[in-house]
Amino acid sequence: MTPTRRTLFMGAAALAAARVLTPDRAYAAQAMAATVDWSLATADVEGDVAPRGLALVHGRAPAGLSGSLYRNGPAKFRRPGGSAQHWFDGDGLIRRWRIEDGQATLAARFADTPKRRQEAEVGAMLMPGFGTVADPRAKIGSADDASPANTSVHKVGGKLWALWEAGSPLAMDPETLETEGFVALRPDLKNMPFLAHPRIEPDGRIWNLGVNGRQAMVWRLAANGALEAAEVIALPRASYIHDFSATARHLVIVLQPWVHTRNVMPISAGFEWTPQAGTQVLVIDKSDLTQRRIYELPPFGFFHAGDAWEEADGTIRLDLCAHKDMDFAARGAHEVLNGVPLGGEPAELAMVVLEPGGRGRLERTGVVGEFPRSDPRRAGLARRFSLHTTGERADRPLASAVAVTDWTSGRTRSFDFGPGYVTDEMVYVPKPGGTHEADAWLVGPTINLKAGVSELHVLDLMQVEDGPVATWRADVALPAAFHGNWV
Amino acid sequence: MTHILAVAALLAFAAPAFAQSADNRLTLTFETGAETGAIMVALYDSEAAYEGGQPARATQVDVAAGQLEAVFDLPAGAYGVKAFHDVNGNGKMDTNPFGMPTEPFAFSNNAVGNMGPAKWDRARFEVSGATAQTIRIR
Repeated sequence: MTPTRRTLFMGAAALAAARVLTPDRAYAAQAMAATVDWSLATADVEGDVAPRGLALVHGRAPAGLSGSLYRNGPAKFRRPGGSAQHWFDGDGLIRRWRIEDGQATLAARFADTPKRRQEAEVGAMLMPGFGTVADPRAKIGSADDASPANTSVHKVGGKLWALWEAGSPLAMDPETLETEGFVALRPDLKNMPFLAHPRIEPDGRIWNLGVNGRQAMVWRLAANGALEAAEVIALPRASYIHDFSATARHLVIVLQPWVHTRNVMPISAGFEWTPQAGTQVLVIDKSDLTQRRIYELPPFGFFHAGDAWEEADGTIRLDLCAHKDMDFAARGAHEVLNGVPLGGEPAELAMVVLEPGGRGRLERTGVVGEFPRSDPRRAGLARRFSLHTTGERADRPLASAVAVTDWTSGRTRSFDFGPGYVTDEMVYVPKPGGTHEADAWLVGPTINLKAGVSELHVLDLMQVEDGPVATWRADVALPAAFHGNWV
Repeated sequence: MTHILAVAALLAFAAPAFAQSADNRLTLTFETGAETGAIMVALYDSEAAYEGGQPARATQVDVAAGQLEAVFDLPAGAYGVKAFHDVNGNGKMDTNPFGMPTEPFAFSNNAVGNMGPAKWDRARFEVSGATAQTIRIR
């Protein structure tokens, strides 16, 4: 690249090492790793998990509940010759939780990426990532070579797509979970980034972004994955964009004041928190990407937003999990991997309101919330409920509870599995034959830390506070995952 | 991560030029994934040239006409090769809208870079007598 690459690399490496591996931190990491009960949440899985039945340990399977919950998240961080330095940089393990005829099964396979192959051969984690600097031995010819394919998984046109945010989708077989290869949506668009949070319209059309500094590719795909349109747009600032939102008519791109300012590695070290700039929201007409409007909001950080909608008067609303800043991304997720508690504030569930007159605001709820989900049949349309995790505390990373927030009443109802559990994102599953938004289940896994195994739960949306109506237990523990979908 | 790969160096090519001494003949054989277009090959004789100067030799391998070899008669010494397959025959290395290559490229020793083109230390090889390399470009 440039003659300064070595300098940059050395600088970034020193910086990362100083941040993560000061003697006290290293000691704390060792001490905590030996004692924290939640270390299973970021533990290594050594190989693929063969299909197996799960034991029903509570309640019974609801009649008519049938399908698969595909989830993706990092599950391999450490190798003898070198380890990933950030939670976001472990190898993607694609899990399939299946409920069928009252029985539940689990299977999981690692995304068989060029990254994983190269690292297995050398016996060291080599690739650069969100918070990890490249090992000098890494061989990287494209962003896809460094992809852990670890962030989410969608079923598109008969294939699973394991998604990351800086490279191409990775196609896998939904039955065998075997990796087939990276997807080039068009030959001239090879190696373009594709976020892990596409927005899916109720008819299946897929909108997504691929971000590069102050440019974004706007992807529009048919439900079967065929490319319909790809257009590059300019962004007013080079914000970190993990997720965006959309109404039926508009793309809603929240531009937080965590802005790319330096070409250094790892990625997270290149961003700067600039609260004085506030948070901007860019709203773009789906039918004409040149039609845009920018709203100015007070500063907040975020990873995840819910599906946006538009009211009759044109007011746009979207739920979002607001962070005070992006310290978790820059620092916290290193600590999580090393078993160190964060001491930071968890994200708060909030509503972004964009008025047709051009004024925008953030309405906070006071409710701790992350991993927001909602009814996929109402994506982009007015809705009442958000599902989310809750119960995260400053002295302990990750959530132990799930909740349903009703935006009509302003009430949040939750169920806390207790300190012996780590909860994953749970998804919205419509009850068969039901059309009302309340006729749904929450389905998702937890780690039962005391038993040292993963569990799968079903909760009724309207009685979420009563806890699971059914719980199955696996004979393995899988670490916390990020995102997934019910198929 | 979108920043990790610098735009691959744009390779400028002169018309094919062949020295006639056959004492140190380098034969490059390309394995390709496409049967159209041409492979553009640039050969460098020093680190300085390889990392940003002019190639000592350059040639095109006419894949569409069935060719897969490039032959150079050279003074003995250290060399490095950069090549790309101009699959659609438009005379340039195509890139996606963010500047990343979309046509196959390769380096001598089948070297791969570390966030950028392979450096001289990975691509460098010695030519002494009859020397052959097979380069996978796909």
